Amino acid sequence: MNGTLLASPEVSGFGGDPWWLVVIKAVAIFVFLVVMTLFAIWAERRVVGRMQQRIGPNRVGPFGLLQSLADGIKLALKEDIVPKAADKAVFILAPIIAATPAFLSFAVIPFGPEVSIFGHQTRLQLTDLPVAVLYVLAVASVGIYGIVLAGWSSGSTYPLLGGLRSSAQMISYEVAMGLSFVGVFLYAGSMSTSEIVNAQAHGWYAVLLAPSFVIYVIAMIGETNRAPFDLPEAEGELVGGFHTEYSSLKFALFFLAEYINMVTVSALATTLFLGGWRAPWPVSLWDGANQGWWPVLWFVAKLLMFLFVFIWLRGTLPRLRYDQFMKLGWKVLIPAALGWLLLVATVRALNTEYNFDTREIALYGGIAAAALIAVTFVWDLIAARRDEESAVEHEPEEFDAMAGGHPVPPMPGQSKPALTGVGATTTAAGPDHTATEDDR
Amino acid sequence: MNSYVPILVLGALSLGFAVVSIGAGALTGPKRYNRAKLDAYECGIEPTPQPVGGGRFPVKYYLTAMLFIIFDIEIVFLYPWAVHFDALGIFGLVEMVLFIVTLLAAYAYVWRRGGLEWD
Amino acid sequence: MSALSVSATFAAAEFQTPSIEYSKLMPMLIVFGVALVGVLIEAFMGRTGRHQVQLILSIAGLVAAFVSVTMLAGDNQIAAVGAVAVDGPALFLQGTILLLAIPGVLTMAERSLDRGGVFTSAGSSTPGSEHERVLTATGVTQTEVFPLTMFAVGGMLLFPAANDLLTMFVALEVLSLPLYLLCGLARRRRLLSQEASLKYFLLGAFSSAFFLYGIALLYGYSGTVRLSGIAEAVSSNSGSDTLLMTGTALLAVGLLFKVGAAPFHSWTPDVYQGAPTPITGFMAACTKVAAFGALLRVLYVGLGGLAWQWEPVMWGVAILTMVVGSVVALTQTDVKRMLAYSSIAHAGFILTGLVATDTVDPDTGAVLGVSSVLFYLLAYGFITIGAFAVVTLVRDAGGEATHLSQWAGLARRSPLVAAVFTLFLAAFAGIPLTSGFTGKFAVFSAAIAGDAAPLVVIGVVMSAVAAFFYFRVVVLMFFNAPAPDGPAVAVPSPLTTVAITLSVAVTVLLGVWPTQVLDLADRASQFVR
Repeated sequence: MNGTLLASPEVSGFGGDPWWLVVIKAVAIFVFLVVMTLFAIWAERRVVGRMQQRIGPNRVGPFGLLQSLADGIKLALKEDIVPKAADKAVFILAPIIAATPAFLSFAVIPFGPEVSIFGHQTRLQLTDLPVAVLYVLAVASVGIYGIVLAGWSSGSTYPLLGGLRSSAQMISYEVAMGLSFVGVFLYAGSMSTSEIVNAQAHGWYAVLLAPSFVIYVIAMIGETNRAPFDLPEAEGELVGGFHTEYSSLKFALFFLAEYINMVTVSALATTLFLGGWRAPWPVSLWDGANQGWWPVLWFVAKLLMFLFVFIWLRGTLPRLRYDQFMKLGWKVLIPAALGWLLLVATVRALNTEYNFDTREIALYGGIAAAALIAVTFVWDLIAARRDEESAVEHEPEEFDAMAGGHPVPPMPGQSKPALTGVGATTTAAGPDHTATEDDR
Repeated sequence: MNSYVPILVLGALSLGFAVVSIGAGALTGPKRYNRAKLDAYECGIEPTPQPVGGGRFPVKYYLTAMLFIIFDIEIVFLYPWAVHFDALGIFGLVEMVLFIVTLLAAYAYVWRRGGLEWD
Repeated sequence: MSALSVSATFAAAEFQTPSIEYSKLMPMLIVFGVALVGVLIEAFMGRTGRHQVQLILSIAGLVAAFVSVTMLAGDNQIAAVGAVAVDGPALFLQGTILLLAIPGVLTMAERSLDRGGVFTSAGSSTPGSEHERVLTATGVTQTEVFPLTMFAVGGMLLFPAANDLLTMFVALEVLSLPLYLLCGLARRRRLLSQEASLKYFLLGAFSSAFFLYGIALLYGYSGTVRLSGIAEAVSSNSGSDTLLMTGTALLAVGLLFKVGAAPFHSWTPDVYQGAPTPITGFMAACTKVAAFGALLRVLYVGLGGLAWQWEPVMWGVAILTMVVGSVVALTQTDVKRMLAYSSIAHAGFILTGLVATDTVDPDTGAVLGVSSVLFYLLAYGFITIGAFAVVTLVRDAGGEATHLSQWAGLARRSPLVAAVFTLFLAAFAGIPLTSGFTGKFAVFSAAIAGDAAPLVVIGVVMSAVAAFFYFRVVVLMFFNAPAPDGPAVAVPSPLTTVAITLSVAVTVLLGVWPTQVLDLADRASQFVR
């Protein structure tokens, strides 16, 4: 490839397209994203339907394929409401701020290697920057503004809380996401997406940097506010979250942004960890697999696989509680990502500076890790015994049925007071399962 | 052509799309005035009056934002370091470990003091 | 060829792997290391022993850092890839700051005057709330003050040693942020303390912004943030004069704010009054030392070639500062506010020494402007810390009795405390046989050698004005009848006693026998460029 990365602000092979090619590429990316959104909404409803023993939409077009388009048209024909209490300018601006950056991230995603378009040799990628991945993160952060501003400008309680939650959630998981990239940069020696794909010619980072990959996948689901991390839209608590007050095409824009973000993070996962447009193993044995237009197929296939995982998770997992969610982000993902990063950096330094063999390092590292696990195991045993001792001393707390001025159920460890008078009949009827369990 | 120009083209395209959508939404939809429809939605009850700017919300969010900034700055330092890791060698590793350990001390403090708890 | 290997070789060609002389940075590394360990202690140690462990650790760290400063003495080089200067003025001031921080930390740790110590039990509890009452009853205190102080000290060590403007800015923030926080942690009169903290923070942030804009403009002028690079650009007279002048002015605003010089002094009285008194003492002494160190380095190393331009301005600032400090102090009725205005006046006196620029003593080869300021800062720091430590002792039921009327007849209640305070006031006023006299003599003679005689005349007049309000307090203490329900003088624990004794000893020693330290200041007066 090239080494001028540092010397010049351009990644070689980019920045030389004629204007008509740039326009074609930009329009192609735009169309691709819109079609992917329509397809993803349809696929989600069909797949989740199957998972729930239903059929899903099958009326509009073949297999119901045009369902999302019909939904879009329906939304356009709905009344566009701006609530009285809303801050009008910001309220209208917010969906634009949410939707525009969603498209922009895709500018640096490589779809394939060099091909010929109308006799012009060019890369299947709109552009590339020496700081491409940083650019994606930066643009994605701008999208958060759209959500916060939407929540704030609605002039209503639920959207405000939903917007705050979304932003807190997105920034929390962005840290883990950002940390998971560091290992990739360390091995690729570059932040440009095309160079990262090139660096994976002999092995995907999903294998080499498996923990980074796992952390990224978890973080990307949190980052896109998808199930099981879809707390901002928790209907039971916050109605629709930040977009409660939105209707018509403004709502559609938020919807679009959410699905494009899904596609974007999937594309980023593909690029950084799954070899981008490079053919998967058995296919890669065929020489032509990584040439011409074929790579677009591999890229889209990998992308769709991630989208399927998104849908699968939604069909499978219940929603987390907010404290559990934040705990996972701040107390598990971030320390894990940092620890893994230190490990990767150390191994890499030993490799390059002292010519240690990776297997040797793995051996000693494994011994150290085993020792550590043994120590923590013993520690846990001691701690468990101590907990047992303290648990014995622990008296069940007095249960206050009207704590804080509202009727509340007993907390774990509290016992329900005996009901006088009506006790026999209520316990017999026993509609309250938690209460009867606690009684035991 | 500069490699940033294509981003502007795509940006103009998507911005145009978003603006046109919002403009179209105002034209295609019906307009039927109803006072209750313009109130804030609170599941049908009378909406709680909101002070301008949304009023007060839990300070926890502020804390999260501060922590985010700290870690995000860390990431900003990590990226160029990672890209040039091989050139920086052991010196780079040692310096970055010192930096991360410093941050981890603060992280441990925040954790122990309940700064990461949500209730 | 893979992208990896090529870009790596390329990087190797472009990159000069930097090196850091850890041994030369040892004082700072020790202090920051102790601060970090302090944070971990806060995180993992139980409440019971934390206060003592933190105190011992902090003092040990300060002593160790001071020892490492003495071991570096005589060094004259630039370390850490040009970011830090290890030279005479830097080491002298670092030593001064560390020596001052020891009594500062000792007074902060005092717990026998007020149940639980001088700091609030929880900074986050609302003043006057039930939560606060419960916590106060348990007698707990925020031991975070120790690591915070150590971070502030670390920033102060770096501030006068910073050899480029960005490092200087980082140091400025590292020293300021903990101080903003510490100011708001008083146990008594918490609203006043929090107000002081907020004022200090807002104005401090404002001045930081000025400082940063100044850096940006000077970078625009010279294309570098390195002080030596700026000096080169000034001497070769390349670039736009507008950028240079505006940048210098903005930079000076940021630094003059920190030293508390007029017209950027307005935060001083409120913050000094509201902050917990040991913090006030620490801040008044150490911040001033660090900030004057940075000001000296910027003006002498970076903008020395521009002395013709900034000297008249500094004249004006010095005169204004002396006049405002001395005259306004006359009207004060609160001891802490009076000391605050006195510190403003002293900033003015120090500035008179600073304008002597490159005037070299023909006998010793010392740069007079630098050596006199170095000596004055050491002397002034100990007087200030001692004076504020005495203020913590005079108490009534509501805590410290800081109103001057309450100090009437104090000598009848406690002749010793009154005598010690009188010594400090005499030193502030510049009475012979105290360190204050030697310091004033040094800066004024430097100013005369630097052809700034009119400035000295004003300085002497203002010293006389200042002496008036200092001696008003002495008269009040010794010759007025005590108020019937006046305050008592509390008996402190050895911590405060040691701090005050140390300050008294230094004040007397530097007044009676200053030669050694003056020589040291002379020898330490050469900046590395």
